[in-house]
This record gives sequence, C-alpha cells and structure tokens, in this order.
Amino acid sequence: MLNVKNLNVAFGGVKALDLHDFSVDMNELRVIIGPNGAGKSTFLDILCGKTQADDGEVTFDGNPILGKKEVDIANLGIARKFQKPSIFGSLTVYDNMLLAARMPKGIFKSMFFKISSELKDRIYQVAKMVRLDIHLSKLAGNLSHGQKQWLEIAIVMLQDPKLLLIDEPAAGMSDEETYRTGELLTDLAKHHCVIVIEHDMSFVEQIANRLVSVLVRGKLLMEGSFAEVRNDQRVIDCYLGRTNTQLE
Amino acid sequence: MKKYLTADSLFYILLITVFLIVLPLGNILGFVSNNTISLWGRYFCFAIAALGIDLIWGYTGVLSMCQAFFFCLGGYSIAMHMLLSATGKGVYSAAIPDFMVWNQVETLPFFWEPFHSFGLSLMLALALPAIFAFLFGFFVFRSRIKGVYFAIITQALALAVWLIFLRNETMLGGTNGLTDFKSLLGFELSNPKTKLGLYLIAFLTLCGTFLFCRWLVNSKFGKVLVGILDSESRLSFTAYNVVNYKVAVFVIAAVLAAIGGVLYAPQTGIITPGRMDVKASIEMVMWVALGGRGRLKGAIIGALLVNYLYSVCTSLFPESWLYILGILFILTVLFFEKGFWGLIEMLEAKLTGWSPAKGSESLKANV
Amino acid sequence: MKYIFYFLLVFALPMRLLAESSVNDTQIQVNTLISGSDSLKAVAINSLVASEKTEVYPLLSAINDKKLFLYNNILITIGEKLSSDIGADKFKILQVYPEYKELTSDNGNFLFLPISELKEVEFSRSSRLLLAPITPYLNLLSPEVEKRKLAYSQFQGLKDKAILPKLYSALAQEKHQEILRLGRETIFSIQLNSSPAASHKMWIDSLTLNWGPNTQSILEEYAAAQSNPELKNIASAKAEELQTKHERLRMFQNVFSGLSLGSILIMIALGLSIVYGLAGVINMAHGEFLMIGAYTTYCIQSIMSPTSDLFFWVSLPLAFLVSGIWGFVIERLIIRHLYSRPLESMLATWGVGLVLVQIARSLFGDLTAVRTPSMLSGGWEIVQHLVLPYNRLFIIFLSAFMITATYLVLYKSRLGLQIRAVTQNRRMSSCLGIETNKLDAMTFFLGSGLAGLAGAAMTLIGNVVPDMGQTYIVDSFLVVVTGGVGNIAGSIVSGFGIGFLFKMLESFFQAVYGKVLILTLIILFLQYKPKGLFPDKGRIGED
Repeated sequence: MLNVKNLNVAFGGVKALDLHDFSVDMNELRVIIGPNGAGKSTFLDILCGKTQADDGEVTFDGNPILGKKEVDIANLGIARKFQKPSIFGSLTVYDNMLLAARMPKGIFKSMFFKISSELKDRIYQVAKMVRLDIHLSKLAGNLSHGQKQWLEIAIVMLQDPKLLLIDEPAAGMSDEETYRTGELLTDLAKHHCVIVIEHDMSFVEQIANRLVSVLVRGKLLMEGSFAEVRNDQRVIDCYLGRTNTQLE
Repeated sequence: MKKYLTADSLFYILLITVFLIVLPLGNILGFVSNNTISLWGRYFCFAIAALGIDLIWGYTGVLSMCQAFFFCLGGYSIAMHMLLSATGKGVYSAAIPDFMVWNQVETLPFFWEPFHSFGLSLMLALALPAIFAFLFGFFVFRSRIKGVYFAIITQALALAVWLIFLRNETMLGGTNGLTDFKSLLGFELSNPKTKLGLYLIAFLTLCGTFLFCRWLVNSKFGKVLVGILDSESRLSFTAYNVVNYKVAVFVIAAVLAAIGGVLYAPQTGIITPGRMDVKASIEMVMWVALGGRGRLKGAIIGALLVNYLYSVCTSLFPESWLYILGILFILTVLFFEKGFWGLIEMLEAKLTGWSPAKGSESLKANV
Repeated sequence: MKYIFYFLLVFALPMRLLAESSVNDTQIQVNTLISGSDSLKAVAINSLVASEKTEVYPLLSAINDKKLFLYNNILITIGEKLSSDIGADKFKILQVYPEYKELTSDNGNFLFLPISELKEVEFSRSSRLLLAPITPYLNLLSPEVEKRKLAYSQFQGLKDKAILPKLYSALAQEKHQEILRLGRETIFSIQLNSSPAASHKMWIDSLTLNWGPNTQSILEEYAAAQSNPELKNIASAKAEELQTKHERLRMFQNVFSGLSLGSILIMIALGLSIVYGLAGVINMAHGEFLMIGAYTTYCIQSIMSPTSDLFFWVSLPLAFLVSGIWGFVIERLIIRHLYSRPLESMLATWGVGLVLVQIARSLFGDLTAVRTPSMLSGGWEIVQHLVLPYNRLFIIFLSAFMITATYLVLYKSRLGLQIRAVTQNRRMSSCLGIETNKLDAMTFFLGSGLAGLAGAAMTLIGNVVPDMGQTYIVDSFLVVVTGGVGNIAGSIVSGFGIGFLFKMLESFFQAVYGKVLILTLIILFLQYKPKGLFPDKGRIGED
C-alpha cells in the first residue's frame, strides 16, 4: 500500500530523516516508536505533504506522493491527526465533523451544499464512537484536551481515508480514555491502513498487532513484533537514560 | 426558548424603520434635508464595502488592506460613464470630458470607449475588480503569503495603484479625480428626487448584499471560511483547496467593495484618488473592527456609526477627530475584540442569561 | 599646465581693468549715495553707471534689489536667510563697498543679523530705474545664487563679445564653484564663437576642460555650424567624449542614489525587523517613531543656538532616546496585550500612529524644517559633475553604523543572545529564566530608538512634517517581508536590493511605474521564496 524508498530530508544541513526501505500493507496497523528527535513526526509530515523531502521515492496505492500538495494527498486518501490537536475551535463539533466528511469540496459545491440524511447519520454514528454525541452543538474550542484529540480522530475517520497517520493520539489522555482510543484504532485497522506514532509503551502493546518500527536519528533501527522490539538490546540502548521508564 | 425582542430583531426593526421609512418620508415631507439623505446614502455604500471586509477579514482572518482600491475601481467606472454621457454639454462642448481638454488631450483614450454604454460600464465596474482580485489573489495566495505578509503586500498594492491614479497621463483625472457629473441614465443628479432614489437603491442594495452574505456565511462555504481562520492546515489536510477559497472570498469582497463604489460616485458627485490611499483602506477595516468583526451586522453598524461620528465630530471639533478615532480604535482592539455588536450581544447575554457559547439548538452560526 | 594657462587667461584680464580705476572719484559718489538728497543720489548713480567701474557693481546690485543697508557705517547687503523660531529671521551680512566680502563677527563666524538691526538706505523708484541698462551685469553680482546663475545663462545665449570684460570682472568676484564653471563656460563659448579660427581649437579645449552644464550642446551647435572639417571633427569628437563621460557618471550617480535610498530603507527596516522577529508585531506606528526622532531634532535646534552645528550632533542620541522611550511606553500600555494576535496588533499600532501624527500636528503645525549643519551641506566632488552630497554620505555612514551597532547588540551581548533566543522559541526561553516581558519592552525600546535615530537623519534630506513617517514606511515593510522574518542580514540585502532596483528602474521609467514594477517583482519573488530571502528552516514556526 505505502512504499518508501531512499527518503532523505535535511533541515539546514542536519539530516532529519534517511529511510532506505519502509512499507506498510493493506489493513495493517503500524506503530512507529523512537526517542525524541528521531524524525517520526517529520516522516508523517512528508507523507501528508506538510514538509517537502529533498530526495527519494514514496508511493501510495501506486501513486507517487512526493512534491504533491496537501490537498491532492488528502484526496488520494491519506488523513493526518496531529500531535497537538488541530481542529476548528470557533466552529461547533458538528460543523467540524461536517467539514471533514468525504464529499466534493469545491467552492460552489460548498455554497450550495445540502446535507443528506445519510451523512447526518454517519456524523452521529462517528460522534457516538468518540463519545462526542452529546457535545455536537458545543464550540470545539471549549472541549477538554482529550475530547479535542477524539474530535480530531473523528475528523480523520470521517474523511474515509485509506491511510490514517496518527501522531501521539494518547497524549494528555487518562488511562481509560487511552484504552478506548486503542480500541478505536484497532477497530479502524480492520478496514484501513494506520500508522501510529506513540511513546506510551503499554498503549503500543495494546494496539501493535503486527509490526513495530523503531526510528533513531532519522534511520530505521529495526522492525519487528512488539516483543522483539522490546527485548532488542539496541532499542533499549538508545532509550536508556532518556525514556527508559517508558519501555519497562 | 423563543424570544421575540432580541438584539437581533431590534437591529432589523431599527434599520428598516429609520432608513426605509422615517428618513425617506421625512425627506418627502421636508423635515429631513436632501443633504442628510445623500449623506446616509453614501454611508450605505461604505457599509456594503464593509460587508466584504467582514467576509475576508472577520470570517476568514485574511487582512486585506486594499479594499478601498476596489471600491474606487467601481466608483471610477461609473464616474467615467457619467462623464462620457455628459460630453458635449461641458464648458468646452468637446466630445471628451473637460479635464482632458485642460490636459490638451484631443481624442478619447481607447480604454474610455466601453464606458459610453451604461450596461457595459456597470459590468466593467464589477468585472474589473473581480478580475484584478482574482489574478492578484491567485498569485499571492498560491505562494502561501498570509497573515502579516498579506496585509503588507496589499498595502503596497494600495500605495502603488494610488500613485498610478494620481498621475495625469493615466487619463483618470489625476489628483482632482473625476467630478462634475450631470446625470445618470437621464436622471438629473442634482434633482432631490434622484438623490432620494439613489438613497433607496443604496439601502436596498445594502439589504440585498447583507442577505447574500448571510446566506454565504451560513452555507458550508462560510464554515470553510471560519475554518481558514481557525486552522488553515487542518483544512488542507481535510482536502479543501484553501487557495481557491481564499481567492473566492477575496473576489467576493472586491466585488462588494466595487458595488459600494458604483453607488457612491453618483451620490457624492466626485471620486478622487484620495478615496483609495492606504489610509482609506485601513479606515475601512477599522469600521468593521469597531462595529464587530465576524458579525455581518457589526460591519454595517461600524460603517454607519463611524462615518456618522466622523461627520458629527468634524463639524463640532475638527481638531480632535483623529484622536477620537485613534483612541476608539486602540480601545476596541484591546478590550472589545468583538466590537460594538459584540458588546451588545454581551449585554444581551447578561440581561437574559443566554450565551452563544452555551449553544442554541440551531447549528447556524451567528451573523 | 595647459589648465593653469587658461585660468591665468580668465583672471589676468580683470586685474588690468581694475588697475585703471581711480578710487577717489568713486568714493565721493558712494558717499553721496548714503547721505545725498534724492536728486543727488540719482546723479551719483548715473555717473557710477556711466563710469563702468565694475567694483561698484555689488553696491549697485544691492540698490537694484532694494537690499542696501548701513551697519556700523559700512555699506552692506543681506545674503542667505537663517530661519529660527525664536525671534526674527536672521540674514548673512555682506559688505558691498569698497570690497565685496562676507563680514565676520568677533568670534570669527559669519555675521548673521536680523533686519531690525540694519538701517536701510533708500532710493526712489526713478533712481533705481537708472540702473536698468546695466541690470543684467548687476545680477552677475547679486548675493542670490539663482539670480547669478540666470544672469550668466542669459549672457551665454546672447553671444555678445562686448560684454566679455564685464563677465571677466564679475567672475573674479565669484566664489561659488558651480557658477564659476558656468561663467567660464559662458566666456569660452563667446570667445569660441567670436574669435578668429586659429584660436578655436584652444577654446574648444578650454570648454572641454571646464565642462560646464551646457558644454556638450555648445560644442554640438558649433560643430553643426562650422564649415572647416578639421574643427568640426574636433568639436564633435569632444562632444561625444563628454557624452560618454556623462553617461558613465550618471550610472555612478544612480548607484550612489540606490545606495542612499537603500540605506534609508534599511535604517527604517532595522527596527521594524527586530521587533517583528521577536514579537511578531509589524509596528504600523514605526514611521511615527521616526517622526518623533525628527521632531526631537527640531526641538533641540530651537532650544540651542541655531548658528552652531552642535544641535544636530546632540540630537542624534537624544532622538534615539526619546523615540525609544515612546516605544517603550506604548509597548507597555498597548502592544504587549496583543502579542498573540499579529493582525490586531498591526491595526492597534496604526491607531497609535494616527494619534501620534495628530499630536505632532497640534504641537508643531504642518511644516517645519531643520537646518542642515554646515558641515553636512554641500557635497564631495569626486570628479567634475559627480558630487556626492554630504548629507547622503552621512546617511549611508549612519546606516552602516546602525547596522554594526545592531549586529553587535544582537550577536555579541547578553541582551542580544536573549533576544535571539526568544525570537527562536519564546516558550522555551521563558522556561530558561529569560524574562520575556522585560525583553519585549527592551526590544521595542531598541527598535523605536533606531527609528528615532533614522528620523533625526531624515531631517537632512526633507522637511519635518507630522506624516513624514508615511513616506518610506510601506517600502520598509516590503524590505522586511522580502528579507525574511526578523532576519537582519535579510533586511540589509533586500533593502539595498530594493533601493538599487528602484533607482535603476527610475532611470528608465517614471518613478511610479518603477514602484509598481518592484511590487510585481516582489510578488513574483515571493512565489519562489514565500518566507523571504533567509527563511527559518525546520519544524518550528509552522502555523
């Protein structure tokens, strides 16, 4: 589904990312872990078009995506959830979800848009999944942090993407919320391709059903099942002293 | 919970009774002067332009500092038509406007030709700003110039076109602008009845544009605009082509300004480059800021109120007008982010215990 | 060598003329002018005119201009005006007879006096009319530069050989460089067109060496009329030579103007850029801080003695201080509340500017000017026709100084380190114990102060008016935008770039169209580099 070859990114001479070979299959949930500054978020930035790569080849569903604009990439079916919740604060939760829903998004289509009952049902359904159904008429800016995270996940889901890029979904959530988020993601992975960046190891354990990739200083250190990664000496080494506690 | 006398309905009632009934009737009966009528007629034109500014700045968060230029494009177009329709009746009975005779021009410049016809002039008055805004907006938004950068670029544009219009060789009347209009479509402009007619047209156009804008901001398009204000990147990652939307709203704002300009020129009898300098554009933004950005009613109230205040202050204490304006403006930006209308909404909320944040059952945005 | 010879030619002749005159007769008649009755005065004027003695011409010229006065029993006239707010206008005092020279006061400076301290020597209109036949010659000695210029130009057009002696004698009194050149040109061109062909080559050479304002056209005209092919060729070759030289110089002048404009833009943009980089605020009142600096200079000029240059040098640091304090106060009162809202702060600062302009207008009226210090008036003439005005040179120098000082503050001081830290990451810096609040105010002080300093310098090249800040401010905004966010190197490069480009375009188009073209170029440039010349790289700074 997603293939990455020889991807290179540098910021002002500093290599941020140097990926030789990386791929994700259909309906796979891939977790990327790595210490701070490993290039995880940068990698997602490139996949969604926020940052431009210097060199390399990335194809999604057979389409090259490097050099494409955000909109075109979004139209290919890639959706992104950011580390810091990115939602429309001065619109209601309902409007947030309405804007995200998959539909023609041209100017005139928007001006003469009439909501259909199927779309309405779908919004309510997704809202229920993220437990926002009672807050639909609330302004999104007034939600709690965890609710904003969920709203953004809802936004991403409503886009009906083929590939979801999820950046630290559990940050700032309570244990219970985190667990639910995990369930939501595993559920999504049944029909979608999902890439998740996460620090919280118990959360990773919960959701990692196949492979976990470890990024260190822009390079792919290893790939393997959660158990393999967890017991790998190199991985432990590069977390030592920094995020050791998160591993155990 | 349904209430009948809200600030909203009060606004509509006041607007319509005062401007559609009291003032025109008073004028016909003779206790409202023609001067007052054409003064308010002009303020309506400003209010139309202010609606456009509210769309692009209040809703979308894009600060355009060249709206006065679009306003003047409309004004100049119609002014050119009025001058041409009066040629031959001027002091020199020449086939060209008088100011060209002074500049020793003998033949009408080619770009004046289309303005012989009223229909074409009206079309150009709206099409020129639209095309200009489209091209300029396309290039600027495409390169992701935004925020402060966009404000500065548009400011520079306002400065540049102002300088061009000041020149005599551009055949647009130079510093003196275009003036001395006689008639429009056969109606004598000096006739009080024509003045009242233009006043009513301006008011009805204001109502029309207001309804249009209200429809627009309540449509999904309007929500996308607010989305641009909140998080442009989220919008692009949700597959909206933000550039297109920005260009669209820039064009709409330009056309609204031009409509204001078209109605303005015949009522004032003069249009000069002074109407389109950098200051003029920023002042237009100030109307919206004072009235209440992100609220269409705020834009209208701001334009009417500030201009009314201006005419009152300049006659009472001319020296202090700029102090009043400047300080009022600073205070508004500092303390009343939502402007005058925001203040009224706040007061209303205090009085009735209702607040927009807690939510009304309708999902429509406040306008 | 040749050159010296021609100059001897110019000055030897009048010497001979002067020697012939008998001083005594003249002295008597001059005394009559002071104390005689109207009819006696008329007679005296008549005989002075008839005597054709050129040493009395300055005196007659003063009579003609109605500017003959008595001061300590010396016959004087008044020259350039020295404006000041306190008391009446003062004028430079020039003795007209027996010698034409500037008078000095006890401390060696030129003497300036108000009219009220002088006693006018009056003449009836009819007496003055007696001067009519020689008025053109009198104008050659007028104290007003423009009048003298005009007189020489008129004689140049007349091509009358008979007036040569008068021209020689008048030129002997001349001190103004530009008029000296014009006068010599006049004499040479009359000689060229009236003397025998044998000497023509010499006169052509003299004209070329002298290279006055009209030399090229004189030579071209001569070449067109001349039938002798040799002379014709020489003249046209010389004319062409001058033309190429002239073009080269104009090029250089353009570069210099570009440099000067660039310096001005950079001076203004520096403060803007620092403030923008740190706080993300485009200060629309920045031009008004410049205006405050200019008015500070004006006030200091009014307070201190207007004849000495000291006021200007004192006002430079004071302008910095005063503008800086204003900036500091406004930051504390208004702008600090708006840091997270760049567009609103832009509008609020515009409101501030509005108020400041109105304050200046109420206090100072609409138009005032600061006298250019004598040290900075005039220009440095590198070669003929290439004069670099001292005031422009000073501005370039000052702007270089400001750039260096800003660089040192930003990159070599603790304050600068903190400013740069906050510019890059405000939150992190405040976590590290930098008092961002204090720093914002300091930066605003610095930025506004720089504007004030620029304002003080701007008094050298223009009037001091309440809205003077508006003149360059939009261009300076463009400089900041083109340069990149809060990047000083970027501002410098783009400042000079825009300055040069503008002056270059201006030599091809009208200034206005040059401006439009530059705006278009900047928009096109931003298509490729939307964040300016030197953008911030990396993940921070997005959204």
